[in-house]
Amino acid sequence: MRSPRFALAIPAWAWLVLFFVVPVGYVIWFSFGYKPGIFGTHANDVLSFDRYVEALSPTFFQTFLNTLWVGLAGTALCLLIAFPVVYWMAVKVSPSKRGLLIALVMIPFWTNFLVRTIGWQVILAPEGWLSTGLNTIGVLDGPLEILYTRTAVLIGVVYNYLPLMILPLFVAFDRVGAPLREASKDLGAGPIATLARVTIPLARPGIIAGVLLVFIPLMGDYITATVLGGAKGNMVGQLVASQFQTAQNWALGSAMAVLLMLVIALSVAIGAVILWILSLPFRSAHRLVLGPES
Amino acid sequence: MRRTHRHGLGREVALWIWGILVLLFLFAPIAVIVVSSFNSGRLLVAWDGFSFDPYLAIFEKPAIRDAVWVSLRVGLFSALVATTLGTLAGIALARRPGKWSAWFIGLLLLVTVTPEIVDAVSLLPWFVTLGQDVGIAAFNDGLVRLTVGHSIFSTAVVAYIVRARLVGLDANLEEASADLYAPPIRTFFRVTLPLALPAVLAGGLLSFTLSLDNTIVSAFVQVSGSTPWPVYVLSALRGGLRPEIGAVSTVMLVLTLVALGLVAIVLRRAGDSATDIARTMAGS
Repeated sequence: MRSPRFALAIPAWAWLVLFFVVPVGYVIWFSFGYKPGIFGTHANDVLSFDRYVEALSPTFFQTFLNTLWVGLAGTALCLLIAFPVVYWMAVKVSPSKRGLLIALVMIPFWTNFLVRTIGWQVILAPEGWLSTGLNTIGVLDGPLEILYTRTAVLIGVVYNYLPLMILPLFVAFDRVGAPLREASKDLGAGPIATLARVTIPLARPGIIAGVLLVFIPLMGDYITATVLGGAKGNMVGQLVASQFQTAQNWALGSAMAVLLMLVIALSVAIGAVILWILSLPFRSAHRLVLGPES
Repeated sequence: MRRTHRHGLGREVALWIWGILVLLFLFAPIAVIVVSSFNSGRLLVAWDGFSFDPYLAIFEKPAIRDAVWVSLRVGLFSALVATTLGTLAGIALARRPGKWSAWFIGLLLLVTVTPEIVDAVSLLPWFVTLGQDVGIAAFNDGLVRLTVGHSIFSTAVVAYIVRARLVGLDANLEEASADLYAPPIRTFFRVTLPLALPAVLAGGLLSFTLSLDNTIVSAFVQVSGSTPWPVYVLSALRGGLRPEIGAVSTVMLVLTLVALGLVAIVLRRAGDSATDIARTMAGS
């Protein structure tokens, strides 16, 4: 007697279908309905795309644009901040200290997300630590007016998702290893040429992984935006939540949730196409491929 | 050794400064919370004086104690569910791949990329349907709802981690065991599972931490009377944060660090390098 190959995966599959596929399917179904009267949350006897039109009306569209802006700027900042750090950790620091540094990067990653964000609220508050400090040294006169702005949200998301950029980048850099860079140097390439022609191309999978790991959860962020951006709401995640919790309009909230997923998928697809076009001129000309065990 | 001419040295110093600044940035809010947890004042934000009172308040205030207790139980239950389901799935993916695995990995990917807020708003109506319309009373229970809600993402993560570990290990041992007439069940418990154990432990701990961290799904599916810790903090946010919140967070941070250290030791004894450990724990 031989069980099917996927037998061991059946429990997980059933669990995910029952508590992920079906509920998300329900939300997609709700999104084609409407809100019946003040006390109803959703009704599906008439199906239409009206909720999508409503979700993209100017008031909400601005929030979608804002989310995309925070998502792109946040991801770019994470990459710009993480790159030199990872280069430093993987190249400049002695191998024996690398484990410690990785551990140091991971401690914040393992600390409660909400609590870390509250830490930033304490730092950025008008009566908070940064404000007091800046006033003491005379850089600032009067309270720091940064909390509950888009800048505060940006600081928060860069902070919260930075470890997710550093870790995959480090793994990729670590794989490139010193011998290849030294070979590049020995062949007469300067440090910049080595970085551009050897290190970055070989670390590309790590860069892509890092960008995806940061961008996708960042776009759906709700906590950072709530704690640092204030109640008025400037991310789609808050919009979805408020439709379900306060406005009790599940149909509209569902349409927003579906749109959020579509925007994320579309952004990733556009990014992939851009990357592919950019890489066309370099195809096959300078390709260095590492085996799995190098 | 390394050539360090003038430009090189400047660059090197700049890299060190940048690296250390970023580490300070990463620890800034954590340090602020830890320091604030010793605040004798009424609010977390406004420093008044040094005191241990916030730590004593953990034991005195039932609301805080209950919230932490709910979180710990849900963390344990959901880690058990996710680790069991995820380990089985990871073993199947690594050892019995086939046409089905592409579909299954697709499902896992979908689970991991879906924004948590979407999971949250989907689960709430679904639990209401299951609990009230279908009449399965268990889904009206807060602990059950939280456990299920937290286990979804973790199941996918554990499956990835376990699969990654087993793919890296040869299947020879399992084949040898089968050749020596061990029945599949015994091969599974005596060979496959021990091979996967470091990944199973890391996955379990990751699930536990993810559950302790989970705020969004919790805020939607919780039932009054079973408020987990992060939701308690989120609701306290509106009324002004008290130093007790910092105290509980500090205790939890210390506990997480101890648990992390234990897993790192297990992984190191299993022969992983620092990079491998980082990879396993980051779930990639």
